[in-house]
This record gives sequence, C-alpha cells and structure tokens, in this order.
Amino acid sequence: MSESLGLLPALPLLGFLILALSGGKLPKTVVALVGAGSIGLAFLVALNLALPIIADDSLIVRETLYTWMAVGSFEAQFGLTLDGLSTVMILVITGVGFLIHLYSTGFMADDPSYSRFFAIMNLFVASMLILVLADNLLLLYLGWEGVGLCSYLLIGFWYVDPKNGYAARKAFVTTRVGDTSMALGLLLLFTQLGSLDIQELMQAAVANWSVGSGLAIAATLLLLGGAVGKSAQLPLQTWLPDAMAGPTPISALIHAATMVTAGVYLVARTHVLFELAPSVQLLVACIGLATLLLAGFTAMTQHDIKRILAYSTISQIGYMFLGLGVGAWSASVFHLMTHAFFKALLFLAAGTVILSLHHEHDIFKMGGKRRQLPIAFASFLIGSLALAAFPFTSGYFSKDEILLAALEFETYGTWLWLGGVIGAVLTGFYSFRLVFVVFFGGSNGHHDAREVTGFSMAAPLFVLMLLALVGGFLTQPTAAVFGAHGQAGEHTVSAALHAVMIAAPLLGMLASYLVYGIGLIAPDTILRSGVARGLHTFWFSGWGFDWVYQRVFVAPFLWLARLNKHDIFDSVVSLLVRLTETANELLARSQTGSLRWYVLSVVGGMVVVLLATDLGGLL
Amino acid sequence: MDYDNAARDTINAFAPSVSWEELLWLLPHEILGATIVFAMLAIAVRRHFFVTTVITTLGLIAAALAASMQFSHLVQGAPSALVTPLFLIDAFAVFFVIVLCLGALALAILGFGYFARLDDAREEFQLLLLLATLGAVTLASSAHFVSVVIGLEMLSMALYGMIAYPIHSKVGAEHSLEAAFKYLVLSAVASATMLFGMALIYSQTGALEVVGSANSMLGYASPLALVGVMLVFVGIAFKLSLFPFHLWTPDVYEGAPLPSVALLATLGKVAVGAFFLRFLIHSHLLLNESVTLVLALLAVASILAGNVLALRQTNLKRLLAYSSIAHMGYWVVALLSGVGLGSQNMAASAAAFYLLTYAALSLGAFACLSIASSSESEAGVLSDYRGLFWRSPWLALALSVMMFGLAGIPLTAGFIAKFQVFFAAVESSQWGLLAALVLGSAIGLFYYLRVIYQMLQPAGEEGRTLRDLGLESVGSVITITLVVLFVLWAGILPEPLLVLIAALFG
Repeated sequence: MSESLGLLPALPLLGFLILALSGGKLPKTVVALVGAGSIGLAFLVALNLALPIIADDSLIVRETLYTWMAVGSFEAQFGLTLDGLSTVMILVITGVGFLIHLYSTGFMADDPSYSRFFAIMNLFVASMLILVLADNLLLLYLGWEGVGLCSYLLIGFWYVDPKNGYAARKAFVTTRVGDTSMALGLLLLFTQLGSLDIQELMQAAVANWSVGSGLAIAATLLLLGGAVGKSAQLPLQTWLPDAMAGPTPISALIHAATMVTAGVYLVARTHVLFELAPSVQLLVACIGLATLLLAGFTAMTQHDIKRILAYSTISQIGYMFLGLGVGAWSASVFHLMTHAFFKALLFLAAGTVILSLHHEHDIFKMGGKRRQLPIAFASFLIGSLALAAFPFTSGYFSKDEILLAALEFETYGTWLWLGGVIGAVLTGFYSFRLVFVVFFGGSNGHHDAREVTGFSMAAPLFVLMLLALVGGFLTQPTAAVFGAHGQAGEHTVSAALHAVMIAAPLLGMLASYLVYGIGLIAPDTILRSGVARGLHTFWFSGWGFDWVYQRVFVAPFLWLARLNKHDIFDSVVSLLVRLTETANELLARSQTGSLRWYVLSVVGGMVVVLLATDLGGLL
Repeated sequence: MDYDNAARDTINAFAPSVSWEELLWLLPHEILGATIVFAMLAIAVRRHFFVTTVITTLGLIAAALAASMQFSHLVQGAPSALVTPLFLIDAFAVFFVIVLCLGALALAILGFGYFARLDDAREEFQLLLLLATLGAVTLASSAHFVSVVIGLEMLSMALYGMIAYPIHSKVGAEHSLEAAFKYLVLSAVASATMLFGMALIYSQTGALEVVGSANSMLGYASPLALVGVMLVFVGIAFKLSLFPFHLWTPDVYEGAPLPSVALLATLGKVAVGAFFLRFLIHSHLLLNESVTLVLALLAVASILAGNVLALRQTNLKRLLAYSSIAHMGYWVVALLSGVGLGSQNMAASAAAFYLLTYAALSLGAFACLSIASSSESEAGVLSDYRGLFWRSPWLALALSVMMFGLAGIPLTAGFIAKFQVFFAAVESSQWGLLAALVLGSAIGLFYYLRVIYQMLQPAGEEGRTLRDLGLESVGSVITITLVVLFVLWAGILPEPLLVLIAALFG
C-alpha cells in the first residue's frame, strides 16, 4: 500500500507532463480525459489510502521516495508522510479538485488555451499534494512555491488583458513577502534544531525550547508570516480579491478550497511549535478575528459577485485562524474541509451565473434569476446556508466548534467569541444579500439568459450541494495528530449562549431579507447619511489597504527604481567584468607558445614553491 | 661459502620472492601486459585496425572484470595485499584500476572512430593506448616511489607517441609534432625534478615507500625531506597542470589529436590524482603548514588563472585545457579540506568523487568533439559548433550535458562533485579557498554557457557541416550515450556511488 503514496502526486504530475509536452496539439476530449482523469484516479488512490487511516487514526504511512545525497551531516531526502491531518487534506484536494476539473471541462470548453489550462491545473494539484504529504519542511516549501507559481499562472491565465497580468503579479509579489518570511523561519529552525524533518523538528523543539522562549516566538512568527501571506490574512490579504481575475474554476480550486488554506495547514502541521509560543498563538487568534470582521464588513459592500465570495473566503479563513489561535486545531481543519465544500459550490455556481449571463459580474445587473438559473439558485441557496452556518448544514458544525473553543480560551476568550459571533451576523447578511439581489426581485438585465448546464457542469454542483449539506456529519481522523487537547470535546455551554450562536446568522439573514428581500429599508436611504456613505466607501475599498500600501510600499519603491535608472549597482558588476577581462588579457600574454618561456615558468614556480616552504617553516 | 650465503641473502632482501597468490593480485596488470604483447603480434602478422581494436577492447574488458572481482572481495572484507614493496592492492587501488580500464575502453572505441580514415598506420595507436593504461594502472596501485616513477614514465612515453601520432599524415593535425615535443621536454623537466625530490626524501628518511610507517610523518622528518616533498609536488603539479606549471596544457591540447587529448585529460589526471591522494593520505603531509600553504597557493592560482584564461577562448580544445586547470584547482581544495586527517575522511571521498566525475565529464566532452571530427579535419573551433542544436540535436544535447556538468549545474554529477568540495571546505573552515571556489565557478559559468549559446545560434552560412557518421562511429555513439547517462545518474541518484566511494576510505 505504501507504494501508492508516491503515486498520489505522480498522477497529476504525469497529467501535467503529457499536457505540457503535447504543446496543445491534443484534441479537447483527450485533454479533458487526461486533465480530469488524472485527478479522478488520484482521488481513488487517495480514498484507498485514506480508508485505513479513517478506521484507525493513529496509523501513519511513511514512504521515503529517495535520498538525493548524504554528505557528512547534511542529508537531502524526499519523503512523504500520510497521517490523519494530511488524509483530510488529500481527500479535499483530490475530491473537490476532481469535481472542479470536471466542471472546468464544460466551463472552459470554448477557450483556445484549453490544454494549457488543464496542464497548469494538474501541476497545481501535484504541488498541493506534495505540500501536504511532505515529511520535511524543505519539501513542503517546494510544494508551497509550486502552488504559488501555479496560482500566478492561472490568475493571469487570460494574459492578453494587462489587468489580469497585474493581478497575477500582485498576488505573486504579496505572497512572496510571506514566503520570504517562511524561508527565514525554515533557516532559523534548521540552524537551531539541526533538522527540517517535521517529526524530528517537533520533538527537538519540545526538548530544547521552553514554553514562551524567544526562539520559539521568533520561529513561529516567521512561519506565521508565510501562512498569513498564503492564506490572505491581515496584513497580506489584499491580493485575494484581485486574484479573481482568473477563470472561475481557478477561484474555486485555488483561491477558495485548497491553496489559500495552506497557511492553515502549515500552522496545524507545526502546532507543537505554536504551543511553545502562547503569545504568538494569541496573535494568530487576533489576526483571525480582525481579518474575519474586516473582510465581513467589506463583503457587505461589494458589487462583483466574485469579489463578494473572495472577501467571504478571507473572512472564513479568518475563522480558521481564530480556531488555530485558541488551540482548536481539529475544529479549524474541520472548518477548512466544510469550507472547501460550500465555497467551491458557491464559486462554481457563480461561474454558471457568470457564463449564463455573458460574463456579467455585477450583482445589481442580475436580479430575479431564480427561474432562469434553477441549478445555480439551488446551489447558491444551499451554499449560502452552509456559509452562514444555518443549523445542521456543514458550516454550522465547524463554526460552532471554533466559537465554542474560543469561548473556553483562557485569555480574552469571551471577546474572541463575541467577535466571532458578530462576524457570523455579517456572514448571514452578506451571503443572503447576494442571494436576494441575484435571484429575487425584478430582473435588472440579461432578461433572456438561459442557464448553461450539461452533465460536466451540473454534476459537480449536485455533489457539492450534498456535501455542503451533510459534510458536517463526516468524521475526521485528526485525533491522533493533535493529541488530547485541540480535540473537540464535550463543550459545557449554557443553552442561552448556544441560542445566541444560532441566532446570530439568522439575524443577519433577516436584516438582509428586510433590506434586499422585500426592500423594507432601501439601501439608498441608509447611504444618504454622510457617516454611512463614508463607511461604505471605506469598506468598499477593503479598508483602504490598497491605498496605504500603494503609498507606503509601491510608490517609494518605484521612486527608488526611477532614481537608480542607470543602475549604479550594475556598474559594480561591470567593473568585475572589466577586471576579469583585463586579467584575461594579461594572462593570455603568458601563453607565448615558446618552449623556453614555459621551462622558465616551471623553474620559477619551483623557486616560489620552495620559498613558500621556507616561509611556512618560519611561521 | 659464507660470502655466497651473504650475497644470496642480500639478493633475497632486494628481490623478495613473489608467491603465486601475490601474482594473482596483479592480474589486471598482467592482463594488460599480455594484451600488449598479443596485439603487437597480431599487428606483425597482419595489419587490421578493427582486429587490433577488438583485441584492445577485449583486453581492457578482461582487466576491468578481473579488477571488479578483486574489488568485490576487498569490499566484503578481504585484507588488502602488499605485493612486493611496490604495489598495494586495496579497495582504493582496485577502484581506480577499474575506472582507468573503463576509461581506456571508451578511448579505444573513440580512437577507432577518429582514426578510421587516417592515411597512415593506425593500429599502433591502440598499442600506445594499452601501454599508457598499464602505466596509469601501475601508478594508481603503486606503494613505492620506484613503481610511481615506472608508472609515470610508462604513461608519459606512450603519450609522447600518441600526441604526435598523425605525424606522417598529410592532412592530420598540423601542430602535433610541436605539441609532442613541448610535452616531451617539459615532462622531462618535471620528471627530473620529481626524481630529485624522491632522492632527497630517501636521503633523509632512508625509505622510498609511499605507504607504511617509514614515510608516514614526512612533514616532520627534516627540512630537507620537506624540500624533497615540494619537488615531488612540482612534478605532480606539472602533470595535473596546476598554475604556474600549466603553460604547456593549451598548446598540447590544441596540437594533439582528440583521442590523445582525451587520454591526457582523463587517464593522465586520474592516475596521477589517485597517486597524489594516496601519498597525502599515508604521509599525513597536510599536518605541515608549509605544505598546506603551498597547496593553497597552487589551488587558488590555478582556479583563478584557469577560469580567467578560458574566458575569451574561441578554440574549444584550448577552452577545455584551461577548464582542466581550473578543475584541478578545485580538486586541490578538496584535498586541502583534510585528506588524511579525519577518521571518516570526507575530504578524501570528495576528492575521489571529484576525480571520477571530472574524468567522466571531460571524457564526454572530448567524445562529443571527436564524434564531430575525424583525423582529417578537427572541429576544434567554437564557431564549428554554431547552430549544432539544429543540425544534430542529440550531439548538441550530449555536449550541453557535459558543459552543464563542468559548470556544476544541479542534476549532473558535476554539481554533486562540486557540492561535496564546497561542503568539505566549509566543514574545515577553508574560507579563503571557498572564496576562490565561488569566484572561479561564477566565471566558469560564463564560458561553459557560451558554448551552449553558440550551439543554439541559428546556423548561418558559415556553419560548417560536421562529418557524416559512418559505421566506425557506432561505438563512439554508444560510448557517449553511456557517459551522458552516467553523468545524469550520478547527478540525480548519486547515493550508491557516494556510499561506494566512502567505503574506499572506511
């Protein structure tokens, strides 16, 4: 069985190679078969691997792919490990990934770069699998950079429009800030603990570092930097809304279900380190809380259907970070899974809406589309219910556990909980604002729209609807990974608090119904007051982060670049070039071709050697 | 009567009897010697290049097989044998015997393709090749200065002939006589220096043994012994073409026919290098600061001079000559990282691996060149390779792999070799040497990549067509394929090879 562990990333990689090397000459059916088929097969392999682990979660499958080289104390090894945590991840990546690939075969059918699309998608899945299966941080970093590269390539997939290229670059550069921090963290860990193997590292950290030690804080802070960048959390969240420039299935796969949750995975994977640094852990919770509120407020003001979902993703990952921060590792990973289901569903449904309405993104130009787009409507309804944590949908269970764990957290637990509950109100509001504006009321355009369906696009939606509804009842085999704590225990909370938690999203939905459903309070009337208008503009711009970053980082950087137009640093390099060229000319003169001179050189060399010997003897 | 007994004792002391068992340890040497005689007889009966080549290759294969059998015994724990005071047959020696025989095998096959159309006697080339191999093998397994000199001279004598080989040919290499003459004179100077050094060592320690206790603390024997050591170093530095004993290298490389250059660059370097490695391990010379100072000077000067000289070179043969100077400088850095000082001896493993890798890479590079050439017309100038990627992509690919390897790019054996040298130098805190290593590698990248750049250029009007491959080149193509595969294998999955080489010093 262990042989198939390597097969898991190998299958999508093979798909990538076939598609990339064929250079777009394969017919579309073959491309679809290779592209989606490789992921489907990988899912079967993953399922086969996962079943024993689901039955017994203490089981760990290891496989050393190969040792590149071992020189002295240095050893570069490629090994994969499958435990409870990575089991959840591989099932999500290959399962949801396969559904999205299947959907894409229909969604991208008319795109001229069909083959390129699937090639990069397959490469992405392979990198993501390497990321979650890696048994050492170096290999994990390889996967981490791999998914970053694919994300860049796919955001800028329609590169003809410079705007998309800009969005891709923004995403790449912003996450690069986090990646650099993470690389520094890896170097710190390697120099301090002498290993990058995750298991060894955790044991060494516990053995050598006391709780709250400076090194533990520094290392976790640096790792957190990487996680924050990849998962679009404060202060590096600004790239994700712009990343929506890519094709919608990309947004579903990379920017909702899998890649952006890699930060959550990283923190969960190294949770032993974070437990050694309680102050950083609290910081994780605060970042999560701040992000979820900030993104929640922003989501309420957006017009673009995909940007709403993007901010909602940022907000939901905020919940995951909140869970991580309060030590509810298992609950966070649970939310990661359920979020993958319902957010993929929402994005794919959004894709159907967009495609059916001739690439319309503005929700206020839709309206009343529930009859024209029945499948998308059902998807949105179910997805939004799960997103808003409506009782007994998948999102309800996972968010509930995070909030309960926050409540029980000793430092500022009540405040964290309260913030999370407010966030839940916001979630209820913005998710149903979308539903009411798009599917109810009168039609505001595209009156003759017909839903684009077909098996490949409809089937994934139905499967994801089911998962979004009942995904909360799935058990996850992470108990052994996270140990006794961090595990969802029996929470003892009063019924009143529970009622508050259930009521919060309903309150948001109700408000949204009043405003957008029946128009009891028109949005325009609210916006008439100056304060509300200001807030709206402020929130709409994503709390002005882009504005600030533009002035604080981008502008000075460009200014410096202009200042150094002639590249004075390059002249240092040119100097080096000139130096070696001069040396070359001088030395070339010694190659006279004359035998006499050659003998002289040998004798001269001999004299120098003997002089040096005497010199060494005198020293 | 007493006088007779005393005389017999004296004779016995100088000529210790050799048992059959001991003779068996010298089987590879004996096979090579027998092959030479057999090939000579075959030529006397009837000149036939193909038959001579077949005899040569069979002899080399047999010698390699015999050595492999010895190797497997030795690795499994059989005690190493001192056969007379002259030869030490241990895993180290036998490993290099195998490498040398395989290298010679490749050269015999390449030489066949290259000289197939020579308008002169061709068979003796293989004879000289066998002689050179015997010399190299003797050198690599020697335990005594006497066998060192014998091996070195056997190698050099054969090389003089090989460098000047196309001398009677009307269209052969133009400068081969000049190259051979330069090599002869300078090599004689170096040999004389070396012999003088050995004499000085003998005068101080009374021993000519390389291994064993007599010369095991040579660095502290006496100042005069140290001078002797330095003179031996000069001889070795000449053979390895270290700065400032390097001046002959480009001229000889340019003038000599390609298979002969390849022999000089592979067998010549490996055999001398193996002896040098053994000498340093057993004499613990690196404990002496004068020795490390001199070697460090030679290494840094060679790295810088070799790379800088190669920078604007347009003749590919000369470029490879300068590259060899630089590479031997890198190799000395590996030695300086503590050969003979540590018990695990990482530096010695790194040095042995480097030697092997460099030999494979330059063999591959010269093989590519000689496939593109023949004795009538050599493709030695860089512009001959302009647009090669579009004319014969596989050959260009093979040459690119070799260039990448020589530059030390990952996924080739060259990277692993250089990485090990780096690692050993870091472990032993040789910061000055490391700086030279980094600088040299950076400069090196320029001219190695320029070769690839030339091959990628569109082939213009001036793009010469290389020779069309005939039947005689089948072996060469197979050889180069194997070398490319080896270089990639040792770069991607070097672990087995690393383990094997570490076992030589275990």
